[in-house]
Amino acid sequence: MKKEDTVMLISAEGFEFVIDKKAAMVSQTIRNMLTSPGGFSETEHGKVTFPEISTTILEKICQYFYWSLQYASGKETEFHIEPELTLELMMAANYLHT
Amino acid sequence: MSQPSRPKSPDDQTGMYIRVKRNKTTYFLQCVPSETILQIKEKLHEITDQPVENQRLILLPNREMLEDSKSLADQKVENDAVVALTLRKDDNEFEEVNIVRPNDFYQSREADGGSNW
Repeated sequence: MKKEDTVMLISAEGFEFVIDKKAAMVSQTIRNMLTSPGGFSETEHGKVTFPEISTTILEKICQYFYWSLQYASGKETEFHIEPELTLELMMAANYLHT
Repeated sequence: MSQPSRPKSPDDQTGMYIRVKRNKTTYFLQCVPSETILQIKEKLHEITDQPVENQRLILLPNREMLEDSKSLADQKVENDAVVALTLRKDDNEFEEVNIVRPNDFYQSREADGGSNW
């Protein structure tokens, strides 16, 4: 995996998550940012900041991206979500079109 | 009579990922159970520019130091595992495990009057 193939997602508290672009593109919103011509300034440097998404939720979302890729390749496991995260996670998922 | 198809073991050669953490950064790495720790360090080298010999990986929560020559499976590193990355300091010693957790920040954020979502 090369650096160019990764993207850094930054949470509200400034925590960084470095993930594979393929995983990030599970999110339609991030896919648009990464693929639209002209491009968002952040994505040209491979960094996207989400000032509205807390660290716990953003990490859960990254785990979901990877789970989703595994699931798509035929590994049928469950994705566990702590009940107390559900609401925040839904709001973030809605924003990310995930 | 046809041979029943062998059930695939879930972690056979199927993809997995691990979460490598240091300070406020988490690297998600896609890997397979048969990969060695050295191969993982090479991947980390590509994205962090830190030479392999300056990296040390420690499996959490038991703080087991992972050996280069062994595979992930050998050392019970499973899908979604959290591994701490420590780097060699100027004095040639390795730094302590340091992972900042988001909870440490909640207090100050509330004091700022920042929204919680």
